[in-house]
Amino acid sequence: MASRTARLFDKEQNFAMLMVAPAIIVLVVTTTFPLAFLLWNSFHSINLAMPYMNGFVGFDNYAAMFHDGEFWHSLWLTAIYTVSTVALQLVIGLGLALLVMQIPAGQWLFRIVAILPIVLAPVVVGLFWRTLMLAPNFGVIDFAVKALGFGAINWLGSPTSALVSVIVIHTWQWTPFAFLVLLASLASLPPDVYEAARIDRANAVNRFIHITLPLIRPAIVIVVIMRSMIALSAFAAIFAATGGGPGTATEILNLYAYRTSFVKLDFGYGSALAVALLLITLVVSSILFVMRTARSR
Amino acid sequence: MAANPHIAARRRRNVLLYVASAVILVVWAFPILWAVLVSLKSETEVLAYPPRAIFEPTLRNYVDALVGGFSILKSFTTSFIISTATTVLTILFAVPAAYAFARLRLPGKRTIGFYTLVTQMIPPVGLVIPYFLILNRIGWLDTYQGMVTVFLTFSLPFAIWLMVSYMEDIPKEMEEAAFLDKANRFQALWHIILPQVRGGIAVTVIFVFLNAWNEFLFAVQLGGNKVRPVTVAMYNFVSVEQTLWAKLAAAALIAMLPMIVIGIAAQKQIVKGLTVGAVKGGGRR
Repeated sequence: MASRTARLFDKEQNFAMLMVAPAIIVLVVTTTFPLAFLLWNSFHSINLAMPYMNGFVGFDNYAAMFHDGEFWHSLWLTAIYTVSTVALQLVIGLGLALLVMQIPAGQWLFRIVAILPIVLAPVVVGLFWRTLMLAPNFGVIDFAVKALGFGAINWLGSPTSALVSVIVIHTWQWTPFAFLVLLASLASLPPDVYEAARIDRANAVNRFIHITLPLIRPAIVIVVIMRSMIALSAFAAIFAATGGGPGTATEILNLYAYRTSFVKLDFGYGSALAVALLLITLVVSSILFVMRTARSR
Repeated sequence: MAANPHIAARRRRNVLLYVASAVILVVWAFPILWAVLVSLKSETEVLAYPPRAIFEPTLRNYVDALVGGFSILKSFTTSFIISTATTVLTILFAVPAAYAFARLRLPGKRTIGFYTLVTQMIPPVGLVIPYFLILNRIGWLDTYQGMVTVFLTFSLPFAIWLMVSYMEDIPKEMEEAAFLDKANRFQALWHIILPQVRGGIAVTVIFVFLNAWNEFLFAVQLGGNKVRPVTVAMYNFVSVEQTLWAKLAAAALIAMLPMIVIGIAAQKQIVKGLTVGAVKGGGRR
């Protein structure tokens, strides 16, 4: 009897491994192997423009990072970009979700409009904003701002307004994600908790802070985690709208690693920058995950 | 009897809500609506400044973007081939793996699950750099097999985690009943489990296809003249044809049309996929 159950157990494990193996092999070959190669490259000088210098350099690429002003600048921009876009998405998305929850009819229209930015390719969104919205003497926003008497602003041409623009673009495209997730979370709350609060004469602000917010906290935390990961590796919309410019005004670490590799052809240093971004992503995500489990306890 | 003041107040509040909502809707939809408007303008009309909202619409740009000198049909086909191949392969690998994660005893399940989760967090730039060197060495740059291989790196981890959450929802009794009928494990998966997770597979297909269609970084760097998806074609269009913005709008809308149609038709499923992913901690974009 014992041996029969053991055999069944074995069989289930064997079958499970058979089911998992193809996917894991594909993942190891397509993600872990290139990543190991990236790490290996980061300890080498691989410069297609100066191939005679190529070879093992140990930690030189990493040491170079500490003295590289462009690296620190891109890191700073990454922090600004990530924190501001995630905060904006969360605040606007939550506000919108609370507003739409109050509407007795027509919520479907919001869901449809919200899905549109999400399904567009970020590169197309970047191009639309660069041309139709912000282009000098052509874009609608350019026109509207002039009509309001603020004078001509070269939106993507001056450092600060370009940074603001790419933050706005990202926020426009992805706030609907936060909105839809939070709306679903709000819609799933039991109505009777509000009834109890209403009987206790709690006002709207108190109800929100003491009842709604704790209940939807898991959804909020997940939105923050997912959106932070995406903001850290945002590429296409910025690349299409500003190309990281003017100068390096919107060049977050992701774009800097890209330019170092594919424009300067310095694949060794570019690899080290990408490893730095990978480490930052892992650290930020583990901090967020730890916060998530700590809070929910 | 005078009108109930409470009802009047509620009505005022509702009107205010609707006005606020309408404003937000318009602001959010505006860039897309404006693109549609621009795509219907002639090249002279489009340069009129201040921009005019009322004009004689023309379909000329759409004709050009489809069959004319700016045809994107080739890129469109390329995107379709890549996205379809990526989706089919992803589902083939992800569904059995998700079944084992969700329902079976598996040695080292936590470790393998964590590994899958971490592969999902790799920033794409960390993969595009080594892939450029690898594919260059094996002659796979600008090929379909190279592009689809790279696309698996982001679609497969995501699809596994999305499918796990659907697999976990199936009642255990269903498989046990199948085993009583002397079905083997594979038959149980094929005849009992798969029909139960059809909805989940549909959601996964939609997400994987969408992400593959919209991908840009890998496509621009690892593709070329032969394999050039619509996202890259759109980007090149702006770099080369500086100010043909009406044509750009038309071409971009055609390029995005499959996504817009899927988005509106499968809006419920997408929101469900977003929230399932949100609850379980998966998801990309």
